[in-house]
Amino acid sequence: MNALWWLALPVLLLPIWWHRKKRVQDQAAPMATARFLPRTEPRQTRSWRWSDPLLLLLRCLLLVALIAWLADPVYPWRGDTVVVAQGADPAWIEREAAQAGLANAERIVLPAAQALGWVHVHEREWQSDARLLVLGDVPMPAARPAFGRAVEVRTRAAPSRKVERHVHIASERAAEWRRIFAAQGGPETVVIDDTPGAATSLIVWDREQAPPAALRASLWWVTHPSAFPELAKARTLGGLRYADSARGRLWHHAGWPPRDPDAARALLDDWQQLHVGPRPYTMSSQAFAADTAADAPAPGGALRGILLAILAALFVLERSLTHARRR
Amino acid sequence: MSLANTALIAHTRKLDLVIRHVLAGLGHGIHAGRERGAGVEFSEYRAYVPGDEWRRVDWKLAARADRHFVREAERDSHVAVWLVLDASASMAEPSRSIEGLDKLGYARMLLGCVAAIAQRQGDAFGLVVLGGGRVAFTEASRGPRHLQRVLAQLQRAEPGGSLPDAETLKASLHFAQSPSAIHAASDLLDWPSPLSIALTRLRQMRHDVRVLGLQTQAEVDASFASDLAYRDPEREEGVFRFGADLRDGYRRNRDEHFSGVTAQCRKNDMPLTLATIEQSPIEVLRRWLRRPGR
Repeated sequence: MNALWWLALPVLLLPIWWHRKKRVQDQAAPMATARFLPRTEPRQTRSWRWSDPLLLLLRCLLLVALIAWLADPVYPWRGDTVVVAQGADPAWIEREAAQAGLANAERIVLPAAQALGWVHVHEREWQSDARLLVLGDVPMPAARPAFGRAVEVRTRAAPSRKVERHVHIASERAAEWRRIFAAQGGPETVVIDDTPGAATSLIVWDREQAPPAALRASLWWVTHPSAFPELAKARTLGGLRYADSARGRLWHHAGWPPRDPDAARALLDDWQQLHVGPRPYTMSSQAFAADTAADAPAPGGALRGILLAILAALFVLERSLTHARRR
Repeated sequence: MSLANTALIAHTRKLDLVIRHVLAGLGHGIHAGRERGAGVEFSEYRAYVPGDEWRRVDWKLAARADRHFVREAERDSHVAVWLVLDASASMAEPSRSIEGLDKLGYARMLLGCVAAIAQRQGDAFGLVVLGGGRVAFTEASRGPRHLQRVLAQLQRAEPGGSLPDAETLKASLHFAQSPSAIHAASDLLDWPSPLSIALTRLRQMRHDVRVLGLQTQAEVDASFASDLAYRDPEREEGVFRFGADLRDGYRRNRDEHFSGVTAQCRKNDMPLTLATIEQSPIEVLRRWLRRPGR
């Protein structure tokens, strides 16, 4: 929308019009027999000569700078670039960049999850013939990304890191609960804390009395709803009742603890999917062609600072010169 | 022929060259030298000066004295020719069709021709230049040297200012003591004017007054560029505009003015020749010098 400000450029005609010289009286040609003509009012014609050309130039520049500031232009200044997701193997990066012919291109290191979004937001900063390569363990976004320019993405899944999940079990049937957590597969390992700490993300509360007020965790699995008054108004999804409290989110199921391995695995999957979030999935390597339908993101005002400085300088010059001329 | 001649005037700075060209085109019959006829009595010898006709050199004396002498004869005519040039600012009016030609240049050339004819006829001739509110006299005299002097004065005349006032001009009329032929060249835009009063008075003093009114073709046709603003060179009256809507009014005012001038000249028996400066100077000169009634 900002680009519509460029339509205001005809405003430049105003100072140009004002700076035209007024009619000059001695332009009248002598005519000996003029006495045979009726006298007329001198016509107000303006000749195309400039009064104060320096001031005119300053005023035009001032207006252009103002319009440019409002229009917030993006100057395409970036050349060939390799965007590297953090944590990628440097040797692999070098190899891939050299293979693409971008060994000497500029490197930009970004968090893997933000790489594609950042490229999309800044895509107008690249020159039209610049090549853009994204390397690293880039996670697959929910929707297929579209770019206004050609972008090539080459990915390699990084070796998954071990993730620990701290669980505190407050139950008389602790052995049954431990058996459930032993079914946890994948890169995560579950660590059972004897006392809940800051790292504890899940508390299993298998007791009738209420927990101490200071005890907090992001998720509670509750077997006795009487201990948590918030569960009275809980909503139900497939037998699972859930509610939010000051201590954290509460889950309650009448059939807990689960009796068979399938139910235990389903519960662990739900925990992963609904509460922790899906595991990142590395996107496949692919090249995106320039998509004209892709919405160009609004410019981020990268040049506004410079333009504002120019605007202020021009304004000061224009005022000073006007004042000097008036003297 | 006409255009070639007028263009010649416009582009030649040497007045005597133009005059020689015009007089060559004029042919014979109008400037019959009187000194060749009977009744011319020898009066004196005088040293040859460049410009004298070779046939007037006394060759026998040249053989004896090894120098050239010219026989001066007694004139039986004492008519003085007076050339009156209006050099007011309005005479700078240029021809709108021929580049570099203006009324003053044209008048200058025709008066030069008259002076040359008078010189050939052996008449005395003098010059009066009216311009810038002043009167500039060149006394009447004879001979080729005087012709050069008069031509130089003509050449020097620049358009500017207005005509001298009636008092100044009246005080200057003493020049016409002997019977004179007065040739006045003007644009006649100021009429009545100090000049018209002076000419009328001279006519009443029984001098032969011939008036040449110079115009431009654009004035006659009422065809001026309409995209220009105009001003009167002699009056500070503001700005004028010309257009197709004003053409009829311009023509009417101008015709009215010049019919008045013509009537007054006829009433005072002063032959008036109206000519455009784009016309051939030979034709104009012939019309101007033609004896009235012929």
